[in-house]
Amino acid sequence: MLRNDADSWGAPAKLFHWVMAALILAQIALGVMAASWRVSPTKLELFFWHKSTGMLILALVALRLLWRLANPTPALPAGMPAWERAAAQLSHGLLYVLMIALPITGWIVNSASNIPFRIFWLIPLPAIVAPDKPTADLVALVHGGLFALLALVLVAHIGAALRHHFVKRNTVLERMLPGTWRTP
Amino acid sequence: MKKIAAVLGLCGLSAFALDPAQGADWKMDPAGSKLEFIATFEKTAAPGVFKEFDARLRFDPDKPAGSSLDVTVKVTSADMNIADVNKEIRGKDWFDYAGFPQAEFRSTDLRRTEGNRYVAHGALSLKGVKQPLEVPFTWTGSSDGAVMEGELTVKRGAFGIGAGEWAASNVIGADVKVKFKVRLRKAG
Repeated sequence: MLRNDADSWGAPAKLFHWVMAALILAQIALGVMAASWRVSPTKLELFFWHKSTGMLILALVALRLLWRLANPTPALPAGMPAWERAAAQLSHGLLYVLMIALPITGWIVNSASNIPFRIFWLIPLPAIVAPDKPTADLVALVHGGLFALLALVLVAHIGAALRHHFVKRNTVLERMLPGTWRTP
Repeated sequence: MKKIAAVLGLCGLSAFALDPAQGADWKMDPAGSKLEFIATFEKTAAPGVFKEFDARLRFDPDKPAGSSLDVTVKVTSADMNIADVNKEIRGKDWFDYAGFPQAEFRSTDLRRTEGNRYVAHGALSLKGVKQPLEVPFTWTGSSDGAVMEGELTVKRGAFGIGAGEWAASNVIGADVKVKFKVRLRKAG
């Protein structure tokens, strides 16, 4: 099954979800290490991988949004309270916003810092703002703030998935797992 | 008599050795001149300039024998256009502004290779290290002066630029390209 239907995710949607989940966790580790490492070749190397991964995530989220818009979204379980539906929609919306806003603010910091950079040594990243140290410092703070927000939303997202599975005993988590699981 | 001549000759020789560009007949016009160095960061060009430098030259393009070139570079005028990098390169691991504020290239051996192409064989003193260096350049004369232009590659490690852990070349490349354009006017 490639396409989503009313109650299940197709293979591409699952692949996007889990590949990006893995990339985002790696990206968080790279970012935290890069920011806290003392100035050294290792720090520059960490930033190089953090920036490259960030641009990969940005490209993937664009494809993922297109795929999501071109497919039905599986329905939430019947009988879910309104506040839970609202929370689900808000947190999913926020995750998409953050998956775009974090790479873009990172891109702005890199541009404003005037650091030459090629994604994975291959694709030159054009500057999207003029070099300016105060801009770089300010947007780096925004980038950090957005990261803190991402960490909170991820905890809510993972917590909610586990609650659906273990407490409410519905299929919300299972239907995102790899494999051929279908709604009975 | 012979002895005196020898002493005089020696004096002349040593004066010449101390200041090869003594009696320079070309002086640099800073406004029309540029000295760039292009390092690499993760295999991507990271350009910088030395804003202040001076070249003095005694040179006849048709008879390069007996020519001399003396270039002094104010290392502390380096600018790589990245605030954090400019702060780092002042330090001991990089240019060490405090210890070695100036670099110098001297040549008393300039040869024509072909047409308007020449090579200055000399030595570069940078960060306390003196190494032989060949500087190729083209010479373009005009009615009001001349332009010397060229580029060469220098190994930063030979001069201890990027010491300790920075000596590794996987993040900051080993080769630094140096490009120069020097506008010269006949000295007064």
